[in-house]
Amino acid sequence: MTVEVTEVHLMDVASGESVAAELWHVITEEQLADWEGEWVPELFRAMQRLRRAGVERAHWPQSRHWDWRRKVAALQGMLANPGFSIVCDGATQGMMIVDTVKHRGRLDGQQGQHLVYVEFVENAPWNRAELFDPPRYRGVGSILIRAAVALSEELEFHGRIGLHSLPQANGFYANTCGMTDLGADPDHEGLRYFEMTPEDAQAFIAKGRSK
Amino acid sequence: MAAKRTMTLNLTEAEMAVLEALSEKRELSKTALLRQALRMYQVIEARLESGNKLFFENEATKEKVEVMML
Repeated sequence: MTVEVTEVHLMDVASGESVAAELWHVITEEQLADWEGEWVPELFRAMQRLRRAGVERAHWPQSRHWDWRRKVAALQGMLANPGFSIVCDGATQGMMIVDTVKHRGRLDGQQGQHLVYVEFVENAPWNRAELFDPPRYRGVGSILIRAAVALSEELEFHGRIGLHSLPQANGFYANTCGMTDLGADPDHEGLRYFEMTPEDAQAFIAKGRSK
Repeated sequence: MAAKRTMTLNLTEAEMAVLEALSEKRELSKTALLRQALRMYQVIEARLESGNKLFFENEATKEKVEVMML
């Protein structure tokens, strides 16, 4: 299988230096092995620390039940559901699966228009500030969202993307990505729905270029 | 971007009219619209093969209508 790879950069938090990384336009067995062998044990240890520190379960990582092997297997071969991953320092730093057919725009002026919907996006446990102080790399989430915007442009959806956010990520989508918060969605476990217009997408991409 | 292959598509006048109308409505080129249709077709086929039915639900009344797939 030919893997499409784009060069990207993450920030090494400890050194403050920019480091070369790869955006893979696919999730392979290598990523799933990293998830099982590296992410899951690390996440388990992080939750143990939270529990021993008396942190309420509501503040534990909300993606802790996600099974990436099952998700990838269920969508294998589906044109509508491409996956993406970021590899740096020989390890998977983040993964994302999107859907390109089942969701349409909801914002005024965008209603009914096609968009790329982010089904699942997750950072490696060691990159999450709520679990590791300091986290290892910064920029994973932004690069993956930028990949969703790029796909939206490639499919002629004009950069439109949408997603339901886990509560811990609401601020990231609203402030860092500049997405519009359409509020809690009763049809989606009350998670808040965020959408990015073509204009928001241009601004987000321009912000990334200026860094 | 993945490599693409080219094909010629022959459409009737009526089919072309629908394609042009949908392309304009959804702000897509004809190629992009047909690629989207292929993705959607594959999702529907996969769901039907796994024993699901296809429904349309009226957002206001919540009334559901099954789409009969022949």
